[in-house]
Amino acid sequence: MATDLPLGDQSLEVGPLSPRQLTWRRRRDSFGRTWSVFRSNRQAMTGLVILVLFGLVALFSPLLVSEDAVDPSMASGPPNSPPIAGYPLGTDGFGRSVLALLIVGSRVSLIVGLTATLGAVFIGATVGLISGFYGGTRIDRVLGTLTDWFLVIPWLVLAIVLAAILGPTLLNVILVIAVTSWAMTSRIVRAQTLSVRTLPYVERARALGASDASIITRHVLPNVFPVIFAQAVLTVAIAILSETTLAILGLGDPTSISWGIIIEQAFNAGAMANGYWWWMIPPGLCIIAVTLAFTMCGYALEEIFNPRLRRRG
Amino acid sequence: MRLRYIARKCGWALLTLLFVLSANFFLFRIMPGDPIGLLARSTRLSPEALAQQIHLYGLDQPLPAQYLTYLKQTLSGNLGVSIISGTEVAETLASRMWPTVLLVGLGTLIAAVVGVVAGIKGGWTRGSGFDRGSLYSSLLLYATPEGWLGMLLLIVFAGTLGWFPAGGYASNSGAGAASFGDVARHLFLPVLTLSLGYVGSFVIVMRSSMIDVKEEQYITTARAKGLSDGTIRSQHAVPNAFLPSFTLIVLSVGFILGGAIVVETVFSWPGLGLLTYQAIQDQDYPVLQAVFLISSGAVVVANLIADIAYGYLDPRVEEV
Amino acid sequence: MVSLVKGDGMSSQFARSFVSRKPVRMMSAAIALTMAASVGAFGMVSATADSASPSPAAAPKVLRIGTTTSIDNPTIWAVNSASEWGSIVIQYDMALKFGPDLTASPGLATSCDPSEDNRTWTCHLRDGLKWSDGQPITSKDVVFSYNFVRDKQFDYFNSYFPEGTTFTAPDDKTFVWHLTKPSIGPMRPAWCYIVPEHIWGKYSNSTQNQIKAVKLFPNVASGPFVMTQANAGQNWTFSRNPNFWGTKPTYDQVVFQLYTNQEAMVQALKNGEIDIADGFDGPLLPALTAIPNVAVQKVESDFWVSLAFNFGGQGPNAHPLPALKDLNVRKAIQMAIDKQGIVDKVYPGAATPGDTIVRPLSTFWHLNVPAEKVIEYDPAAANALLDQSGYAKGADGIRIDPKTNEPLHITLPTSDDVNGSSDVGQLVRGYLKQIGITVDVKPTTAAKMYDLQQSGEFDAYIWYWSGDPDPNYVLSVFTSSACDGDGHLSDGCWKDPAYDALFEKQQAEFDQAKRQQDVYEAQQYIYDQIPDVALVYPNYIEAYRTDKVAGLVATPAKVGYLTTSYDYASMVAAHPAEQPVTTDSSSSGGIPVWVWPLAVAAIGVGVFLSMRRSGKGSEEFERD
Repeated sequence: MATDLPLGDQSLEVGPLSPRQLTWRRRRDSFGRTWSVFRSNRQAMTGLVILVLFGLVALFSPLLVSEDAVDPSMASGPPNSPPIAGYPLGTDGFGRSVLALLIVGSRVSLIVGLTATLGAVFIGATVGLISGFYGGTRIDRVLGTLTDWFLVIPWLVLAIVLAAILGPTLLNVILVIAVTSWAMTSRIVRAQTLSVRTLPYVERARALGASDASIITRHVLPNVFPVIFAQAVLTVAIAILSETTLAILGLGDPTSISWGIIIEQAFNAGAMANGYWWWMIPPGLCIIAVTLAFTMCGYALEEIFNPRLRRRG
Repeated sequence: MRLRYIARKCGWALLTLLFVLSANFFLFRIMPGDPIGLLARSTRLSPEALAQQIHLYGLDQPLPAQYLTYLKQTLSGNLGVSIISGTEVAETLASRMWPTVLLVGLGTLIAAVVGVVAGIKGGWTRGSGFDRGSLYSSLLLYATPEGWLGMLLLIVFAGTLGWFPAGGYASNSGAGAASFGDVARHLFLPVLTLSLGYVGSFVIVMRSSMIDVKEEQYITTARAKGLSDGTIRSQHAVPNAFLPSFTLIVLSVGFILGGAIVVETVFSWPGLGLLTYQAIQDQDYPVLQAVFLISSGAVVVANLIADIAYGYLDPRVEEV
Repeated sequence: MVSLVKGDGMSSQFARSFVSRKPVRMMSAAIALTMAASVGAFGMVSATADSASPSPAAAPKVLRIGTTTSIDNPTIWAVNSASEWGSIVIQYDMALKFGPDLTASPGLATSCDPSEDNRTWTCHLRDGLKWSDGQPITSKDVVFSYNFVRDKQFDYFNSYFPEGTTFTAPDDKTFVWHLTKPSIGPMRPAWCYIVPEHIWGKYSNSTQNQIKAVKLFPNVASGPFVMTQANAGQNWTFSRNPNFWGTKPTYDQVVFQLYTNQEAMVQALKNGEIDIADGFDGPLLPALTAIPNVAVQKVESDFWVSLAFNFGGQGPNAHPLPALKDLNVRKAIQMAIDKQGIVDKVYPGAATPGDTIVRPLSTFWHLNVPAEKVIEYDPAAANALLDQSGYAKGADGIRIDPKTNEPLHITLPTSDDVNGSSDVGQLVRGYLKQIGITVDVKPTTAAKMYDLQQSGEFDAYIWYWSGDPDPNYVLSVFTSSACDGDGHLSDGCWKDPAYDALFEKQQAEFDQAKRQQDVYEAQQYIYDQIPDVALVYPNYIEAYRTDKVAGLVATPAKVGYLTTSYDYASMVAAHPAEQPVTTDSSSSGGIPVWVWPLAVAAIGVGVFLSMRRSGKGSEEFERD
C-alpha cells in the first residue's frame, strides 16, 4: 500500500506533528512519490500532455469559437468544402467549420466522459466500499447480486432501452453511461476493501468503538482511494467510447455537438460516399487520442497503486 | 466437492435469470410513448379496433396480472407478437439468430486466437520489437470507436475499392440458401470490424497475464533446471497465464453482443443487433423485450460456462 | 468495452504450477485451424471479388431493387413499411387504380357509373380476368374484399367505404356500391386491393392477428408479379404472374434487396449489385450523380414537413403560449423562417419550399399559391409586424407578450420519424432568435409525439403530414371536429367555422373541376390563417443504372415514383438496357486514394508484419 511506506528519516528532524498533520504529510509525500514514478513513464506523460491540451481547448472553447460559428442557421461557409483558406479542416453540410465543431465538441465529449465517470465511480465506489466492508454478510450478498446483474446485462442493450425511456438529451446520455458502467468499479473496490479491512489499524479503530461510517470514510476510503482514482481514469476512456457508440446509433442528443455526434451527422450526410474525409476522420482521431491518453494514464496509475499489476512496456 | 461448486453456480445463474426476467418486464412497462396509440395515428384505427388491440396485448390488465402472464408466457416460449408486423417474436428472433451467431462467433474466435497468440508472444518477449508493435497496435485499436472503424472499412473496401459488397447477408435471391462464397464475401468486413474492435483487449489481457506469470517462482525454477525457453513458455507459463484470460474472454461475450449491434447496423447485417436497432426505431416493445432477454440470458450462460470451466481448470476452486 | 483491469479473484498467482499438455495442444490446433480458414476465406474472397454478377445469357431476367425498409410480414394484411407497400402494389390490383395524375383510372374495372343521386355506383370488370393460380376473377372477389376489410377492420383500406355502404354482385362481371349518402365512392379511387375469395374466404371467422399470421407462398394475386420467396431481413423475390391481365412484363423476376444504410445502397448501385435504388435523402445526391451511368429521379413530395401551432383545449395539461393565438404572431414567425434556407441546409438539392397543406404529388389537387399571396421570407418585416402588434423587446432582446407580461418562448418538440427534423428545429430556433422569440428544440420519439399531440403539452412542434392522393383526409385534419375525443387527428386544435364550411363544400361536390376550385379555396384559406406552416416538401429520391435497366415509367406522370408506390406500370414497362456498358467498379469520385493507405497502415501493418517475424525471445530478462 502506498500509504504504508515508511516516512523516511526526515520526519525525525522535525518536531512532533499532530496526527492530522502527520496524515497530510504522509499523503503529500506519497503523492510526490507517485508523481515521480508517473513522470518516468513515457506513455503516461504523453497521455497527460494530450489530456492537458484537449482540456485547455475544451475549457477555453467559448473564447476560441463563437456561438454563431456553430449555429446551423448562421453558418456562412461553403457547405461540404475541403480545407481551404479560413477553414483549415473544411466545412460540414451546413457550412460550419469542422475545426470549430471539433473545438466545441471537445467540451461536450469531455464533459460527458468525465461526468458519466464521476457518476459511475461514485455509485461503484459506494457500493463496493459497503459491500467489501460488510463482506460475507447479507448486505454484501444483496449488493453483490445487484452488481452481478449490471455486469451481466449487455451494456449497449441496456443503454438503448434507457435512452429510449428517458429521451435523447445530454443529461440522459450521461445517466445511461453512468448506470451501465459502475459495476466494474464496484467489483474492484470491493476486492480492495476486503483486503484493507483486515489491516491492523482498521481493527484498532473498530476496537476503539469508532462507528462503521467513520471507519469507512476515514480509514478504509483513503487506502482504497488510489485504486478508485486509477479505475476512474480508465473508466473515462470507456465513457467517451460509449458516448460515441450511442451517438453513432442515433441515441445521442442531436441538438448538442460532440465528436460522436459529428461522426453520426457526417455519416448520415453521406460524408464518405461523397468523399468528405475532412468531416469524418478528424473527430475519430480526436476520440482515439483522448481515449488513448486516459488509458495510458490510467495504466500508469494502476501500476503505481497496485504493484502486482506492473505492466510497464 | 466440485459438484457442489457447479451446483451453486448453476443455482446462481438461475436466480440471475429470474431477476433478468423480472427487470425486463418492469423496464419495458415504464417506457413512455404509446406504441398502440402511434399505430392508431398512422393507420386511423377506430376506437373499437384500438380497444381490441389493447386487450390483445393485455395492456388493460392490472400490473401484477400482466407480470404473471408475462412470466408464464415467456417460460413456455411465447415471446409475444410484434406490434408492428404481427408476426410472432420468437419466430422473428429465430430467423435472425444465425447471422448474429455467425458474426459474433467468428469475430470472437478470431479476436481471441489472434489476441491470445500475440499476447503470449508479446508478454514473453516483453520489450521486444514485436511486443512494442503489438501493444501499441492493440492500444490503438482499443481506443478506436468501433462504429467509426466499421464505417471507414465499409467505405474503403466496399466503396472506393469495391472489393466487397456494401452490406447485407448475401446477394443472390430465390434459389435456396445463399452460397458459402457469397456469404463469406459479405461476412468479411463485419467480422473484420468486430475482431479488430476486441483483439486489442485480448492482447493486452493475455500479455499482462504472461508478464505476471513470468515473474513467478516456478518459472525461475524451470529455467534453473535448464529447460528450453520454448518449453517453459508452452508448458509452464501459458497454461497458468491462459486461465484468467480465458475467463475474461468468455465474459466479454456480453460486450461483444453490444458491439454486434453497432457493426450490424453499419453493415446492414441482418442479425439480432440490427433487429434491436430497428425495433428501437419502431418502438416495437415485444421485440425489444425479447432481444433484451436473449442477450442477457446469453451472458448469464457465458458466465456460467466461464465459472464451470474455471472450476475444472483451477485446482484451488475446491476452497472457494 | 472490456475493462482491462483485473478484478478480484482473477489473479494469476497460483500457489503451485501444474503442467498439462492438453490446453497447449488444443490451442495449437485451434490456431492452425483458424489460420487455414482465414487463408482459405481470403483466397475465396479474392477469387470471387472480380465476378460481379452472373452471366446474363441463360439466367432469368431479374430486376434488382434496393430498399432501406424491410418487409417484416409479407402478407397484405400487415402492410406498414414502405417496402411492404411496394410489395403489395406490385402484386395486387384495385378496382379502379391511380392514373397519371393520381385520379381514378381503369384497373380490374373498366368504369364505374353513378346513378342520378350519386348513391348507387355500378362498376364493370374486364373480360377474361384470372388469378395467378388460374381461378377466374369475378365480382364476387371484389365484394368479398370490400366486406372483408370492413369486417376485420383493416383500417388502411376500409376508410374508403363510408358508413353504411353495402355491395352487391348482380353478375360475375358487375359489382354495385350502395351508399347511404351521395358520395364519389369508387371514384376517389377506393384504395383497397382485390384479394381472392377462394383463398381468404375461409378466414371469415378468424381474428385479425390470425389472418396476419397466414403465410402464402407463392402468393395468389392478380398483378404482374407475385411473391415467391422471402429471406427475412435480406431480400424478397417476386416472379412473373403468367395470368396477368395486362401487358406481359419483360423481366421474369423482381427482387427487393434490403440495406439499412443509404450509404450501403449507394455503394451497391455503384457496384452493380442492384439496378434501381429506392429511397435516398438529399445529402447523397452528389455521390449518386458521381456514379457513371446513373439517372436520378427526384420524386415530387408526397408529404410535407409541418410546423404546427398549438391553440390549446386538448385537456388539463395543455398550456400553449397564448401569443400563438394571435395571427400576427404566427404570420411574423412564418416571415422569419427562411424556407429556402432550410431546403439548402437540410435537404440540399432535394426539396422545395412548402406552401399549402395538400402534398404536391397530388398534382391535380395541389394549389401553387399565387405569387401575390405568398408570404415572403422577410425578417425585417416580421420584426416590424411584431413591434406594431405590441410585442416589445425586453432588455435581453426577447419580446414580451403585453397581455401576460411573459417573454415569448416556444417549446418545440421535433419528431424523429421525420428525417432532418431536429436540424430543421435548430434552424427555426436560429431564425426566431432574429425576431426575439426563444425556442427550445426537443428531439422526440414518434411515440412520444403522439402523446404530446393528444395531451397538448407543447407550444409548437415539427412533424409531418402525408395523406392520401385524394385531399379529403388531409383537409379533414384541420376541421373543428378533428379535435374531438381521444385519438383526434388535429395537431393543435385549431377551430374555425369558416374553414369547416369550406371543407363541407368540397366534400359534397361531385363535379371534379368544380371540386378542384373548392379544394384550392380551402388550401388558400389555411395558408392565410396559418394554423400550420408547410415548411418544405422533401423529395423522395430514386436512382437507377441506365446501363442496366430502361423503360421505367413514373406514377404520377413525370414527377412521380419509378418504383411501385401507387402503381406497377413501371415494373411492367421496364426492360434490360439495350447496350449494357461495362463500368469499372472503382469510382472516380470519392476520397483521394492516398488518404487511405495512411489510415489503414496505422491500424493493420504493425500487427501483420510482426506476426511474420519469429522472435527468438532471449531478452526475457531485459529491463527498461
